[in-house]
Amino acid sequence: MEIMESGAVDTQQQEEEKHEQQTEEEAEHFHVLAVDDSLIDRKLLERLLKVSSYQGYVFMELINLLSNAFGRERERALMTFVDSGDKALEYLGLLNSIDNVNATSSSSSPPQSPQQEGMKVNLIMTDYCMPGMSGYDLLKRVKGSYWKDVPVVIMSSENVPSRIRMCLEEGAEEFLLKPLQLSDVEKLQPHLLKSLDHSCKRIDNNFNTDSKNITVSNKSNSNNVSKRKALSPELADRRPKMKGLAVV
Amino acid sequence: MDLLSQLQRQLADFTASLYREGFVDDQFTQLQKLQDESSPEFVVEVVSLFFEDCEKLVNNMAKALEQQVVDFKQVDSHVHQLKGSSSSIGAARIKNVCIAFKTFCEAQNREGCLRCLQQVNHEHAQLKTNLQTLFTLERQIVANGGSIPAMQ
Repeated sequence: MEIMESGAVDTQQQEEEKHEQQTEEEAEHFHVLAVDDSLIDRKLLERLLKVSSYQGYVFMELINLLSNAFGRERERALMTFVDSGDKALEYLGLLNSIDNVNATSSSSSPPQSPQQEGMKVNLIMTDYCMPGMSGYDLLKRVKGSYWKDVPVVIMSSENVPSRIRMCLEEGAEEFLLKPLQLSDVEKLQPHLLKSLDHSCKRIDNNFNTDSKNITVSNKSNSNNVSKRKALSPELADRRPKMKGLAVV
Repeated sequence: MDLLSQLQRQLADFTASLYREGFVDDQFTQLQKLQDESSPEFVVEVVSLFFEDCEKLVNNMAKALEQQVVDFKQVDSHVHQLKGSSSSIGAARIKNVCIAFKTFCEAQNREGCLRCLQQVNHEHAQLKTNLQTLFTLERQIVANGGSIPAMQ
């Protein structure tokens, strides 16, 4: 997981550049906020997300490829795990009592605009049944907030049709049954693509001007090698194709 | 047969028996699929977490059931947790005991709950021993130059 730290006091320009870089870094990451009171389920989900994010999904390959091109080695998926709905709300800046502390922000930024802090969340995954605030309650809060366009996925160990219906009606994108498997996480790929579309556009622009400097690196997973090779020249052309692939 | 082949044969047979006897189910296979060179200890780690969690929950259940007036909702919430985590790692027998356990909680049947608690303890101990055997075999295979065969 990537940890972003604010260093010593920088000049105004350095601070702005750092902030921009952080935003750019975040734009190239897919950031998942996962909410589950079970440590074991959090561990499992973390592993599922990591594995699925590098198992050769063309879209993620693009991100990684371009990250390498810019000389930045990084993981594909950024994940934040919290163990309760309240902590999730706190993270999203939706609790009234939250202090908005960020060294790089301007002093006048209001707590209601976490986006100004460069924080981005592409996907929220929450357990349904939790002590205190349930996943359904969290869903409702999120859908009534600044974060309403972020896809929310509910996870539950119980297959209750009325519950599923209720969550979907409230705006949940998917309802996954536990125990989670790779095939469940694969269902999230369309949301991945949808959410990072604007980042793709940005990266595409960068790519077009720097195409000579792209190098294809052959790394660990042999499944990915042929896909990387196929990707190199016509990345811009591939993007519409990826959207097609996403529809399962 | 050389040592490595023997060990691999042992592992295959032992693993098959664990599935056959219902100690683990397909979810355990899923866990193994998630293990690779970048996370070579994943299964061991998650399984260890589970056993710790299981012990803690069992202690909580025991305490709750000892009370003069049993708070069955409390017991049920512990059972629910254990059911969830056992399901997530593929500990099938423990999960099944939890299903029965829940019904006794709902019926507010103390005796039934205590019996289930005993069963959970028993299954926990058995699974622990079995998985330790499995992990030891895997380590021996790797130590002898082999690699762990992919689960079917």
